[in-house]
Amino acid sequence: MKTTAQVYKKEAVKPIWCPGCGDYAVLSALQKSFTTLSLKPEEIIIVSGIGCSGRFSHYLNTYSLHGTHGRAVPTALGAKAARPDLTVLAIGGDGDGLSIGGGHLSHAARKNPDITYLLLDNNIYGLTKGQASPTTPGDYQSKTSPYGLGEEPMDPIPVFITYGVSFIARAHSFNVKEMTSIITAAIKHRGMSIVYIHSPCVNYQALSWDKLREQTEKLPKGFPVKDKMKALEPAYSKEPLYTGIFYRRTQPVLEDRLDRITETARKNRHGKSIGMSAKEIMEDFR
Amino acid sequence: MRRNRPVKHSELDFIIRIAGEGGDGVVSCGELLAQMAARTEFHVFTFITYPAEMRGGYSMIQIRLRDITIYSMGSMVDCLVVFNQQAFDNSIEVLKPGGVLLYDPAVVDIGKHDHEYMLEPIPLTMMAKEATGGSLSKNMVALGALSYLFGADMEMLETLMNERYASKGEEAMAKNHLALDAGYHAAANINLDTNFRLADLKPAGENYMLISGNQAVALGAIAAGCRFTAGYPITPSTSIFETLTRLLPLVGGRAIQMEDEIAAISAIIGASFAGEKVITPTSGPGLQLMTEQLSLASMIEVPIVIVDVQRAGPSTGLPTKTEQSDLKYAVYGAAGESPRITLAPTGVEDSFYQTIRAFNLAERYQVPVLLLLDQSIGYRKATVKMPDFDKLSLVDKSEPRKSVSIPKSSLISIVNRIEPSTTELEDYMRYLDTDDGTSPIARPGTLGGQYLATGLEHDERGIADQSPKNHLKMSKKRFRKLEFITKQFEKNPIEFYGPPDAVIGLIGWGSTEGAIREARYHAEKEGVVTRHLHPHTISPLPSRQISLFLLRLKYLLIVEENLTGQFAHYIKAKFGVKSIGVRKCEGMPITSDEILKVIMKVAGIDDEDNCTSL
Repeated sequence: MKTTAQVYKKEAVKPIWCPGCGDYAVLSALQKSFTTLSLKPEEIIIVSGIGCSGRFSHYLNTYSLHGTHGRAVPTALGAKAARPDLTVLAIGGDGDGLSIGGGHLSHAARKNPDITYLLLDNNIYGLTKGQASPTTPGDYQSKTSPYGLGEEPMDPIPVFITYGVSFIARAHSFNVKEMTSIITAAIKHRGMSIVYIHSPCVNYQALSWDKLREQTEKLPKGFPVKDKMKALEPAYSKEPLYTGIFYRRTQPVLEDRLDRITETARKNRHGKSIGMSAKEIMEDFR
Repeated sequence: MRRNRPVKHSELDFIIRIAGEGGDGVVSCGELLAQMAARTEFHVFTFITYPAEMRGGYSMIQIRLRDITIYSMGSMVDCLVVFNQQAFDNSIEVLKPGGVLLYDPAVVDIGKHDHEYMLEPIPLTMMAKEATGGSLSKNMVALGALSYLFGADMEMLETLMNERYASKGEEAMAKNHLALDAGYHAAANINLDTNFRLADLKPAGENYMLISGNQAVALGAIAAGCRFTAGYPITPSTSIFETLTRLLPLVGGRAIQMEDEIAAISAIIGASFAGEKVITPTSGPGLQLMTEQLSLASMIEVPIVIVDVQRAGPSTGLPTKTEQSDLKYAVYGAAGESPRITLAPTGVEDSFYQTIRAFNLAERYQVPVLLLLDQSIGYRKATVKMPDFDKLSLVDKSEPRKSVSIPKSSLISIVNRIEPSTTELEDYMRYLDTDDGTSPIARPGTLGGQYLATGLEHDERGIADQSPKNHLKMSKKRFRKLEFITKQFEKNPIEFYGPPDAVIGLIGWGSTEGAIREARYHAEKEGVVTRHLHPHTISPLPSRQISLFLLRLKYLLIVEENLTGQFAHYIKAKFGVKSIGVRKCEGMPITSDEILKVIMKVAGIDDEDNCTSL
C-alpha cells in the first residue's frame, strides 16, 4: 500500500492545467493535508464547480463530483448533511464562488456545515481565456473589458467575516508549506471553513505573481483569531497582504443541529427519544 | 386486454360548499365536517381554493360525501354556506334548486333567490359576538348550524375540535364551543327538513386516512425510504415540504430549508451522491430554477425525485390556482438531451403510490424522476385506505434488476439502488455500458468504489472524454434506460376504462381522471359509450398501450387543463393522430359536466373531418 500523498492521486488522469499554474501547488498541498490527517480516500467527498479549479475533482482518487457552475457549496452541504461520517470539501474559483455562486455563501455560513471550501482566486476567468471576474482589478483590460473594467474588485475575506463563516484563512500557492498547514487546520476545524487561496493565472496575469509575492506577509504570531472586529483590519489590508488564519471560532454545526431537531421531534411525541416507523407516522393521519 | 371495473353508482351523494373571505375560517369549518365524515364509512373528497394573500380574497372549500369511491369534486352542490356577498355572488349558481342556503342576512343580500332554496338565515357574526364577545368564531357558529341540519355526532365533533385547537389555549377553545352551541340552537329554531344525515353511516374501521395529495406525497416518500429533503417554500407545494420537515426527523431523516431552489436541488444531488434517497418539492417557477441541476443529475446518473405541484402560470401567474401547464417543461425542459422520467398521479391515493414508484424508478435507473401534481390534487383531501405495512417488501438487493412494478396497497415493493459487487469493485466502472443502461453505483465509504461524477461528457470509468465516438456511446447509454422502461411497460396488460369497441376515446393525464370517469358514466346513461385511457407515466409513454387504445377510434378527445393543448401536441408528435381538445384554462379544475358536453357534441357529429373545429 502507498503511504504517501500518492494514494489520493488519480493516476489515470493527468492534470490539464497550464505549466506553472498555481493549482498544481494547491493539489499537492491538499494531498499532503489528507496524508497528515490520515484520511481514507474512500471517506472523502470532493465537490468542485466550473473553471480551472473545477478540475480538482478529476485528479483525486476520492468520491468526486464535478458539478455545475457556482453550486459546489450547497451540493457539498447536502452531502455532509446526509453523511456526517465523511470528510466533505468544496473547491472552486473566484468566478464560481464569488460571482455565479456568491449568493450561496452567506446561507451556508449561517448553517455552518462541517465542510471545507477551497476558493482559488486567479482574478480572471482562465479556463475560458481571459474574461473579467469579480476580483479582476478595475483597470485590467480583459476580453470582456477591452477598455478597462469600470468596477471595483471584490474584497472576499471581509465579506466572509461578516457572513459569519466560522473559519477563514488566506494562503498563497507559492508557499506550499504554509498552505498545507492552513488546509490541514481548515479540515480539522468543525464547521464551515474557507481557505481563500491566491493562485494566479500564468496566462492572464490580472494580478502579477511578483507583486503578490512582494506584498505578502504572514499574520503576526498570536493574532486574536476569535475577534471578528480585529480580523477585519488585516482582512482589508492590501499592503501587506496577510496570509494565515483570520478568524476561527466554534459555532453550532449543521449536522449537530439536525441531530437535535430529531431528538426534539421525538421527545415531543413520546417524552423520550425513540424512532417511529412509517406505519406509526401514518396512523396520525386518521 | 383487461378492462377496469365500471364506475360503481350509488344515489348517496352529498356536496357542500363553504365560501367566504380568507381569514373567515372557511377551511377549518369545512375540514372539521370532512374529518367527522371520514370517521364514518363515508368516502370524503374536498377541494380547496385559497386566495394568494394571507387575508382577504375569495376562499372556498367544497366537500363531497358518498358511500362509494369519489372521483371528483362534483358540479352542483346540495348545501351552500356563504359568509359574505362576494361568496354568494360567486357560488349561488352551483347550488341545486331546492338545496340549503346558509347565509348571514346581515351581510348577504340574496335578492330574487328567496323562493328557489331552503333558506337558513343565521346572523353568524352577530351570534359569534353575542356568544363569545368577538366575531372570530363565526365559522364555529356556521359549523354548529350545519351540525344540527345534517345530524352530526356532537361528541365526535367536540373531540375533533379539541384536537385541532389544542394549541390555541383553553380560552379560545371554550369560545369555539360556545359559538358552536349558539349555531346549533339557532338552526334548531329554524328546523329545516333536510334529507341527508351525517351520522347515518356507521363508524368506519380504523383503516382510513384523510389526507391531501401533498401529504400523500410526503407519506409516500417516507414509505419509500426517503430520509433526506432540501427545499424552498413555493405555493402550492409548500405543504409537502412542511409535512416532510415535521415527519422526517421522527423516522431518523433530515430536512433542510435552503436559500433558493437552485440550492435545494444542489443539496439533494449532494445527498443522493452520498447515498441517500432524496426528494425536493416545488412548483413551476421553482422547477425552472432547478433545470440546470436536473440536467446534471441526468448526466451523472444520480437518483433524485422532484415534485412539481403545478400552479397556473406563466411567471407568478395564479399561485393558488390549478393548471396542467408544466408538461412540456417537465418532459423536455433542459439544455442538451437529458433523460428523465415524468409521472402524473391521478388523485390523492395515487399520489401516495406514484411517489413510491417515483423513488423506485429513480433508484433503479439512476435518473431524475419528476412527479407532476397540480394544485387541485395537492390541496384536495380524500379518504385513503391505510397501506398494509405488513405487506411491504424490500426488493432483494442482490437481484434488483427485476422490473419495477406499480405498487399497490396489497403489496408495496421498495427498490434500492444497485451497488457494485466485490468483483466489480476490483476494476470499478461507474458508468459501465449495460443492456438496460444502468450501472452499479458505489456508496461513498466503499473502498475501491471511488469515482468521478462529472457533468462533462465522460467514459465508462467516469473520466472526461469528449471524443465524438464516446459522446454518441454514452448518450445512447443514458437514453437506453428509457427504452428499457418502455419495453417493461409493454409487458404490462393495457388498462383502460370502457369497452374496446367504443369509437369515442378520451385520453387525459393527472388530476382530470375523476372528472373524465364521471363524464363517461353520464354519457353512458345518455346512450353514448366511450373508452378512456389515463397513463400514469407521461414520459416515457407506454407506447404500445396507447397505440392499441388508438386502434379503431373514430374520435379522440384529449382532456387537459391548459390553453394550448400540450398533451395533445405530445400525443400527436408521438402517434400522429388528430384529436379534439377538451381544455380549460381558468385556474379551476375541469368538471365532468364540461367534459360531458363535448362528448355529447362529438357523438352528434356525422362528418369526422369536422370534429377538430369544435
